Amino acid sequence: MSTAPEDVQRTVVDFLTLTAKLPEGFSADTPLYAGGAGLDSLETAELSATLEDVHGSDPYSTGEMPQTLGEIQAFYAASGA
Amino acid sequence: MIELLERVADEDPDRPAVVTHAVSRSYRDVVDDAWRVAAALTRAGVTRLAVVDHEAPVIVPLLAGASVAGVEVTQYPPAEPDEIGRLLASFDHDVLVTDRDDLAGLGARIVRTSEMLDGDVPCRRPPVADVRPHLVLTTGTTGAPRGVRHDWTRLAGGASHVSTGEGQRWLLAYGLHQFAGLQVLLHVFAAGATLVAPAPRRPAEGLEAMRRLGVTHASATPTYWRFVVAELRADGGPVPPLQQVTLGGEAIPGPLLGVLRETFAGAAVSQVYAASEFGSTGSVRDGRPGLSVDVLDRGEQAPVDLRVVDGELWVRSRTGMLGYHGEPPVDADGWRPTGDLVEVVGDRVLFRGRSSDVINVGGVKVHPLPVEERVAAVPGVDLARVHGRPNAMTGAIVALEVVPTPGADLDALKLALRAACADLPSAARPRSIRFVETLDTLGGKIVRRQTQ
Repeated sequence: MSTAPEDVQRTVVDFLTLTAKLPEGFSADTPLYAGGAGLDSLETAELSATLEDVHGSDPYSTGEMPQTLGEIQAFYAASGA
Repeated sequence: MIELLERVADEDPDRPAVVTHAVSRSYRDVVDDAWRVAAALTRAGVTRLAVVDHEAPVIVPLLAGASVAGVEVTQYPPAEPDEIGRLLASFDHDVLVTDRDDLAGLGARIVRTSEMLDGDVPCRRPPVADVRPHLVLTTGTTGAPRGVRHDWTRLAGGASHVSTGEGQRWLLAYGLHQFAGLQVLLHVFAAGATLVAPAPRRPAEGLEAMRRLGVTHASATPTYWRFVVAELRADGGPVPPLQQVTLGGEAIPGPLLGVLRETFAGAAVSQVYAASEFGSTGSVRDGRPGLSVDVLDRGEQAPVDLRVVDGELWVRSRTGMLGYHGEPPVDADGWRPTGDLVEVVGDRVLFRGRSSDVINVGGVKVHPLPVEERVAAVPGVDLARVHGRPNAMTGAIVALEVVPTPGADLDALKLALRAACADLPSAARPRSIRFVETLDTLGGKIVRRQTQ
């Protein structure tokens, strides 16, 4: 799948829905961890594997720790993937 | 082994010893071929050799003849020339028995099978060797294969308790380069039974051999049996009327025992716990997962004894290997770890997986087998493999590969898999689920090493 912002958003929203972690009013600025979606470390590990499977790479594997969907989208935009 | 063959050949020379789709070799045929091999090897002054890519009708007399002549044989697994070259170097072999043309030029002297099997049966048989070495390579599921040194007399001694089995037709689901294959071979000839050896040995061909060649008994890995059951579901053909289903070679999921009892309703289902290094500890026939705790601490007089040390099964065996190739002999009275992780639950020793398969998820050790058992019970799953997948957040996560039943709704199946694992500890839940067409196996076993 492409790394266009809308495709990345679909992957993240689908993942949060599957794990029952999609907060009301989720947006590109909603924190993924405490105070937002509330992902723990294993759920974050799962998100990283999901992003890699769907989009071919993921920000966590490069050492980044994106805080929001917007930062994940920015990673793909910057990498030009 | 020659003594086992000759005993039957003297009694009933025409009884089939080895059967394939193409040929049937009687006990007398095999004995005659074995003596041809022994004479040829003695004439050539060969003391060690490697053999590649021969089918059972050739490899059986080769093994028997070489053992008589005291020649150490190592059968290599089927492999490309580069790998064969590495094995020749690793195990110091300079004689290679093969009919493959692509293996010339690897530095070993090539001997064609026709050089050993053609000609008359020798009138004057070469003297029978006192020492009968044999070298078995491990499957290498946890790294490069190692050479395990055995002695035929010691190996055949392990089959001395076998009762007569005339009329039994045993499927050879293992390669004869595997220790489990040699065990089947010795059991068959000790029983005076017939070895049915399809080629190739994949489960689909095994199932066809069961149906067409009248197989009555079969011993294989749990992985092989899972594939056979999947083949049966897929082709909808008749279920072979097996009398005996034996499992061994890797940990046996409890649910699989039930599936096999249900599928092969007329068969006795038994489990064997054995390995190249320590031989066989006997078979379990009560149909329950794991071993009885009676196998533990049997005492100094027992030829094979087991104990649990820090969750791992340790073994002391006087019937197992002499040692590893290139290393000093092992102490037959010494205790060694088996690499099998176990848990004593009530009156059973239950297997949790190999120590090398443990997945370290953020410092939490996860055994793949219990997860795999749970997943395998989900409707729509034909085969499953749990393994570690590297992950930047936690070091590794539990990853799951599933071969779905044909026609399964994959979205619904994914949800069912998550639901089936929802009450597992958080670190043990599969965090990566992939649907695949088939699973990688090595030596009939699922490879659970951590992969990308």
